[in-house]
Amino acid sequence: MRRYLWPALLLALIIAYPLVFSTPFQQRLGALVLLYAIAASAWNVVGGYAGQVSVGHVVFFGCGAYAAMGAYTHFALSPLVGVPTGIVLAVAIAAIIGVPTLRLAGHYFSMATIAVAELVRLVVTNTNYLGAAVGLSGPTVPRNVFDLSFISALPYYYLFLIVLAITLLITWRMTNSRMGFYLRAVRDSERAARSLGAPTSRTKLYAFMLSAALTSVAGALYAMMFGFVDPESGLGILISVKILIMAALGGAGLLFGPLVGAAILVPLEEISNSLLGGKGAGLTFVVYGAIILLIARFQPGGILTLVNRLMERRGKLKETAASAAEASHAS
Amino acid sequence: MSFVLVQVIVGGLLLGAVYALFSSGLTLVWGMMNIVNFAHGDFVMLGMYVAFVVFTLFGVGPLAGAPLATLLLATLGVVVYFGLIRDIMKGPMLAQILGTFGLALLLRYSVFWWFGANFLSLPQNIVGGTFAIFGLRIEASRLLAGAVALLVTLGLHLLLTRTSLGSKMLAVAEDSTAAQLMGIRPDTMQAIAWAIAAGATGLAGALIATFFYIVPTVGETLGIVAFVTVSLGGFGSVPGALVAGLLIGVIESLSGYLIGAVYKDIVVYALFLFFLWFRPQGLMGKA
Amino acid sequence: MKFRRFLGLFCAAVISAALAGQGSDSAAAEDKVVKIGAVFPMTGGAASAGVHAKYAIEVAMDIINNAHPELGDFPLAKNAGLAGLGGAKVDVVFADNQGSPATGQNQALRLITEEKVVALTGAYQSGITLTASAIAERYSIPFVNGESVAANLTERGFKWFFRTTPIASDFAKIYYEFLTDMKAAGAKTDNVALVHDNTEYGTSVAGTITSAFKEKGLAITLDVAYAVNATDVQSQVLQLKEKNPDVVIMISYTSDAILFSKTMQALDYKPPMIVADDSGYSDPSFIKAVGKISQGTFNRSSWSVGPPGSPTAIIADLYKKKSGDEMDDTAAREMQGFFVLVDAIDRAGSTELAKIQAALKATDLKPEQLMMGYKGVKFDDKGQNILASGVIIQLQDGENYVSVWPKASAAKAPIVPYKGW
Repeated sequence: MRRYLWPALLLALIIAYPLVFSTPFQQRLGALVLLYAIAASAWNVVGGYAGQVSVGHVVFFGCGAYAAMGAYTHFALSPLVGVPTGIVLAVAIAAIIGVPTLRLAGHYFSMATIAVAELVRLVVTNTNYLGAAVGLSGPTVPRNVFDLSFISALPYYYLFLIVLAITLLITWRMTNSRMGFYLRAVRDSERAARSLGAPTSRTKLYAFMLSAALTSVAGALYAMMFGFVDPESGLGILISVKILIMAALGGAGLLFGPLVGAAILVPLEEISNSLLGGKGAGLTFVVYGAIILLIARFQPGGILTLVNRLMERRGKLKETAASAAEASHAS
Repeated sequence: MSFVLVQVIVGGLLLGAVYALFSSGLTLVWGMMNIVNFAHGDFVMLGMYVAFVVFTLFGVGPLAGAPLATLLLATLGVVVYFGLIRDIMKGPMLAQILGTFGLALLLRYSVFWWFGANFLSLPQNIVGGTFAIFGLRIEASRLLAGAVALLVTLGLHLLLTRTSLGSKMLAVAEDSTAAQLMGIRPDTMQAIAWAIAAGATGLAGALIATFFYIVPTVGETLGIVAFVTVSLGGFGSVPGALVAGLLIGVIESLSGYLIGAVYKDIVVYALFLFFLWFRPQGLMGKA
Repeated sequence: MKFRRFLGLFCAAVISAALAGQGSDSAAAEDKVVKIGAVFPMTGGAASAGVHAKYAIEVAMDIINNAHPELGDFPLAKNAGLAGLGGAKVDVVFADNQGSPATGQNQALRLITEEKVVALTGAYQSGITLTASAIAERYSIPFVNGESVAANLTERGFKWFFRTTPIASDFAKIYYEFLTDMKAAGAKTDNVALVHDNTEYGTSVAGTITSAFKEKGLAITLDVAYAVNATDVQSQVLQLKEKNPDVVIMISYTSDAILFSKTMQALDYKPPMIVADDSGYSDPSFIKAVGKISQGTFNRSSWSVGPPGSPTAIIADLYKKKSGDEMDDTAAREMQGFFVLVDAIDRAGSTELAKIQAALKATDLKPEQLMMGYKGVKFDDKGQNILASGVIIQLQDGENYVSVWPKASAAKAPIVPYKGW
């Protein structure tokens, strides 16, 4: 029973956060953490669990964002319609480029994903139907609740929380399934896995497609919250790097790693910007860069692995203490 | 072939040589140590600023600026190696991306903090103007950079293949444990590799500063170009980086002229992707 | 058990969120200080513009908050503080939009809800002005924009958004009239080429010029689009050299502007006339870097230093002392937008949002009350200043721009053909 005390407490805190920290900015900060956590968790499926480091994931993010804004701009529909459309688009792209790209190893795979993302961004920049460089906007005044255009960040917070929970649930189910088993094998040693008969190519492809679908949902949610997307904010490489860093910082390949990473990096960025940004000396990014560098240097596995390791050690200490006590009792 | 087309191709070659110049350092560390350096573009940027500072303080051009940039960046390379790279090398690729990205931000915005956001520039004709050969217009500064690119490529290639230092470095790259057994210290070799690579990059930056604008964020643009050049050429192949750079330069130039400048990057990326899919080892990398 | 540590980390994150929520508690000092928020790019590729905007607004603050009798009847300069609010001072809180529409909106929200500003200005990039002003509209906070040119900003039916700067359609008109006058004076202006980047700035201005010229019967014979932040523009200059248009209109940011000038010199290309669309060509960095090889470039501007002793000259001097650079058109437009905003607050005589909005709507400033060369400031019901206008200036000596058109306000006569170097 005690095992569940802390997790339950944590969950209660997360649910109560925007009610306790209820200024608009704090609520928005919370919503942003969850939004990026969704994107980073989605990336985690293929980047963390399968070990295929995609640096071009923003292309899927953009699918969702553009689909949502496009549904509104061109068809006057609720941006929500963009969610399934974005998913279909993202999965299609993942399937098409996944086949030739996932064959590549390590750095080549990463480079290829960068190339795909940049290619799509450049094409969109020159396509008037998709807003070209001007971008697409969402409803400035919401027509109904389905436009998902709220003044307060509170509804966004809970919406994102639900979507994050679903994302993590899907990820968890996947890791415990046979596919998750194959993924771990691929990550540890693809050659060995293949020689043992695991369907490595198909596994990687499915992980890639699943990751793409979830990332596009994050993109659609982003577009609905900010009401705007353009090639830089929806398809720029910085977003790929950001979500990758969040997952890595928190702990790639761990279920809650991306959430931890987002919970650290998003407030860090916004707060250092709020405190230092206005001065115009660029200090925000000096601090941000230094922190990321230090964490990579001293804890390359991510913060959560550090946490887990400390827990293990503590658990072992308790074990040895318990067995020592036993031994002394027994004697 | 129309005359303008020749000029376009020549311009493309000169441009490509510059790409090769600042990519040779990257391919060296990438091939040798399998490390992806997101801060590479910012090393180039630092070289540019060294050249600018040298000019502002002493009024001298790249004759003094380039060697100083090479030295300073080489030192920085060693510092970065021992401070960061050595540890994240052992880690997963993610840690490398994380660490070098953090380094990139740190370098970029430290320069921003010190120099501000203004676009700086060296005087227009610091290396001499433009001269006409057979009616073709060639900028002296770009020609110099191109010539140095060839020299650097040759130098690095000879270093790696003809010197004992080079073979030691390659040995460490191939199998560091075996190399250790042979009495080679991998740490030293890798630090030297980083110093050479960073130095070459600093040199590139100092030369590019003679014809390009100088601003803290220039590393972003140049970094991506370097990545594409190195991948296309083949990780670890210095001659490959040269060939790839020249190819990209010419293709960019031609597509910019024939199709339209907004599409030239699309052509380059499409070609790049095509190569990755069907010849991932690049033009001259090991299969 | 591991969740306990996770809890610790989570608490740390939560504490920082709480810190983020610390607004300043200036409730007591509210009557004496009017807080205004300014969102600009302080980092990223457009940081140069943002940092200069900050300097400009700080100079404006100095003029407003302190007595400056040397500026004569220039609004808000004579007295210290705002006369309409009993001498209250103006305080500006700056925020960095980092070049991202999301960050811009987040910071705007922070300024509104945490710093409790009564109005906002900014945000330079049109996409960011879009998102930042959207949140201001939601909170009924007046937003005065001095420099973003995207047409859609005033097409949203907003009631709290006001824009003082001329926009693309105004520029197209200015260019057409200028070229017509130059033609009458004997220059050849039949073949016009447009060179522009593929950002929202470049494409929208180019598009507007093309359709406006077409309406008047002047077709654009060459449209050279290029990708922003180019590493090389040789092919584009060669295209121009081949087609040899009579007039080249350049629509570029600073980095590309510098590159184009250098490349034109390298390839020995001197078009008969170059007309630049402000932006990069007005940046002091451009003049410092390549001014000497771009002599004779025409530029669109609404700013001109004016004769010594005039308010504009004094302002230019104050700005130079603060920033180390000459005043450029973009920074000047931002400063003007800020002055208009504070003037409205002064006229409203209160920090009540609705009163400020009403005062803005009723704005009717005459040219003598402005630092920019506009015909005045008067907003239509979309929030656009219908009296915004500009003049044509020319970089005749490679160091300073002088106004050359319209004739009535020109300091010197325009010189053609383009001299270059």
